[in-house]
Amino acid sequence: MKNKPFNLFLIVLVTIVSLWSLWPTWRDYSLTRQIDRFASAEDSLKFSLAHREEIENIRKKSLKLGLDLKGGMHLVMEVDQIDLFEQKAWNKDAKFDAIMARVRQKASSSDASVIDLIVSEFRKENIRLSRYFYDIRNTDREITDKLRKESEDALARAREIIRNRIDQYGVAEPVITTQGSRRLIIELAGISDENRVRNLLKGTAKLEFKLLRDPEVLLRVLDKVNSSLAVKQPLVAVISDTARTGLPVGQLQPAQAEKTPQTGPLTEVLTVMQNGSVYVPEDSKDFVAQLFRRNDVSALIPQDSELLLAAKPDQFEDGKNYYPVFLLRKTAELTGGVITEAKATFSAEGAQPEVLMEMNSDGTAKWARITGANIGKRIAIVLDGAVYSAPVVQSKIPNGNSVINGIESVEEAKDLEIVLKAGALPAPVRILEERTVGPSLGADYIRAGAVSLVSGFLAVTAFMLIYYRIAGFAANAAVVLNILIVLSVLAGFSASLSLPGIAGIVLTIGMAVDANVLIYERIREELDEGKSVVTAVTAGYDKAFSSILDSHVTTLAAAYLLYTFGIGPIQGFAVTLMIGTAASLFTAIIVTKEIFGFMLSRNILSARSFG
Amino acid sequence: MKILHKTDFDFLKYRKITYGISIALLLAGMISLVFKGLNYGIDFRGGSDVVVRFEKNVDVGSVRTVLKDAGISGTLKQYGMDRSFLLSTVFSGETNELKALITNALKDRLPDNEHEIVRIDSVGPSIASDMKWSALKALFAALAAILLYVGIRFELKFATAGVIAIFHDVFFILGMFSILGGVFTFMPLEMDQSIIAAFLTVAGYSVTDTVVVYDRIRERIRGRKPSEYEAIFNESMNQTLTRTVITSGTTMITVLILFIFAGPAIRGFAFAVFAGILIGTYSSLFIAVPIVYDWLRLKKSAVKLRGGSAS
Repeated sequence: MKNKPFNLFLIVLVTIVSLWSLWPTWRDYSLTRQIDRFASAEDSLKFSLAHREEIENIRKKSLKLGLDLKGGMHLVMEVDQIDLFEQKAWNKDAKFDAIMARVRQKASSSDASVIDLIVSEFRKENIRLSRYFYDIRNTDREITDKLRKESEDALARAREIIRNRIDQYGVAEPVITTQGSRRLIIELAGISDENRVRNLLKGTAKLEFKLLRDPEVLLRVLDKVNSSLAVKQPLVAVISDTARTGLPVGQLQPAQAEKTPQTGPLTEVLTVMQNGSVYVPEDSKDFVAQLFRRNDVSALIPQDSELLLAAKPDQFEDGKNYYPVFLLRKTAELTGGVITEAKATFSAEGAQPEVLMEMNSDGTAKWARITGANIGKRIAIVLDGAVYSAPVVQSKIPNGNSVINGIESVEEAKDLEIVLKAGALPAPVRILEERTVGPSLGADYIRAGAVSLVSGFLAVTAFMLIYYRIAGFAANAAVVLNILIVLSVLAGFSASLSLPGIAGIVLTIGMAVDANVLIYERIREELDEGKSVVTAVTAGYDKAFSSILDSHVTTLAAAYLLYTFGIGPIQGFAVTLMIGTAASLFTAIIVTKEIFGFMLSRNILSARSFG
Repeated sequence: MKILHKTDFDFLKYRKITYGISIALLLAGMISLVFKGLNYGIDFRGGSDVVVRFEKNVDVGSVRTVLKDAGISGTLKQYGMDRSFLLSTVFSGETNELKALITNALKDRLPDNEHEIVRIDSVGPSIASDMKWSALKALFAALAAILLYVGIRFELKFATAGVIAIFHDVFFILGMFSILGGVFTFMPLEMDQSIIAAFLTVAGYSVTDTVVVYDRIRERIRGRKPSEYEAIFNESMNQTLTRTVITSGTTMITVLILFIFAGPAIRGFAFAVFAGILIGTYSSLFIAVPIVYDWLRLKKSAVKLRGGSAS
């Protein structure tokens, strides 16, 4: 058996490429160690500044750890297509609302595409889509095509906007991809404040300027709602409603349920001030907000009006928090689309954080007209359905400036600046799936993964040495090269290593020796038949080849299918299993064979070398 | 060192018994699947899993009471790490609120024991049903691919028997998960995505074992009469036995190491793969090959196999 020059070349090449690809990872590791070793923070800072360029460079090329290992968030978000299509529809009526409500219900329980659901519901009612969508002359087909296009655009836009928000918030290497026609996958590593990020991603950032209705109208409306509720709907039903939606219980005082229905549920919880402004105490806020959203309640409100609550509560003398209630014109005077610049700052008095906004020329002109026409009236600044402030217009504003105040913290002002600059999402988004791992657990996972990897490696290689002796060396060299190849492929393709990925590598170690076991057992058989070492080795490789090929192909197929259909963490496992299996084919058939070729040529190998 | 060297087991002789054992085991699993069902993880049923870790030791009952009093529904269990608990509750798109609720309750009632929410997994119902479908698709695609490949490389009867063996293995694990689900606190044995990964790993592994024996049969069967098949099948299994045991052994060692060291998130997976390799080795010898043998005996004609070793 002679060594083939090409195979030798291939082995050297693969080894060099693997090492080269893993070099930055090693450098990164040793530099980090070095930085940690410095006694004072100053020294380590000086060191990192001196090596800044190199560190940045190797960080880009080194093996990346998965979100589960370094801590981070994996989010799947969905763009609300139904909301989007509702925005696109015109001359909406009760029938349309009823259809869309049914679609919404069905969409929440099935995977079917929203457009298909809409089409089937319209067909059931025998209404053409063109009655509500686009042009009356369009066929259903044209309209569904347009809607489909619309939702694709919305998804792309949502992705851009969310990317902008994340970039401005400052997260290293965010990964944002779309999945299907309505989902976004967002992966963020090293988040210190997850709550803030969730809020930042979720908010639609729909900014509206709306005129307030007169206070007397508000009182009249609330009175009407109250008496109608008192007669029609016993409060108990409302409470069970709240409970059903799965809202965290605890906001609702049980005492309310026992109150006599004559007074009505609303007056029980509302506080009316002398000047006509109305407040809801904090503990009843969710209840009232839900009430305002109910269809039978909105039917009692005058046309083109809506009841909204403030975003932030006011603190009263009794120390409790109360949310103001507003009655607004439903049609916005101006929307956030005109905003060109936003800046978080502090108010003139210095204490309150606020956000200053500038408008484009179109917005400036409209804003001047609106403020000019409504001097002395109040205009509410509404963001995602919550009233931030409702200042009285003192004078015409000619320069397109406006201010959002009523903000609690500097962070919130900063976040508002970010979302306002990035623009509003085309439709609300929802978090469908979330996997968050804190950094401390990630460190645990790394330790667990490393321990498993090392002990798996030691156990298997020790066994091979004891069982096969010298031949075991060759098999173990193959295992080492195998692990090197898996890690370097991951590093080279910027794929990340996750805990399931480590599990895949550990499993590969166990399986990688399989090919060698097949070959060695075959060689032993041939030796038992009294053949010479050279013939036995050659025959062993030849005869075991077809078993090795078959078994690797089937494992590869299973891993590939797992990769295709699996989601998230499982893909990490499938990837390492695939690379490991492919590498094992190479290491077992070519690498160990060349090692034997070398040993045979030096007469190191004898019949006893196979244990 | 040599183990199981030059054995001479009559594997086929006991096939009636092993068929019986397998059918009994599978039936037990099926009955449990029908009546007890599976313990689905959040991947497939939707929901939220929250892992809370405490600074100091605390007993699971008191944490349970605190959370219950705060109005958080769901189950709380010891998680496989020190001072950690796993809360499984309904899906909530509002993770912030869930977190705030938990944090406030724990801070209020257990003020001198700091806690940290180290992991949150939340899966909405629509994603969960998606995942269920892709899991099923992956499984059946894998079975079809294996049937096709083995069919092309050997022969249809061999391929079918191999796939029957995989079905056997997968249903065995499913049954075991159903019977043992929720029995052990250190591994809840929930059906989630990682178990599907285990199934596919086991499927690949089981067919590898089977194919190695097939390969040996193919090598020896050429030009032989059907009356010699029993001896050939038995000898082929004996000749590959050492390899089968060693490979199963090394893989099982690594899986055992994963089970012990890789933490609770991997434990269910490692358990499934461990059991799967055990049963996969058994099914290659006592299910797949005997089925082929019985099938060929019924046909009473010589089998023609495609391909062959490279020599």
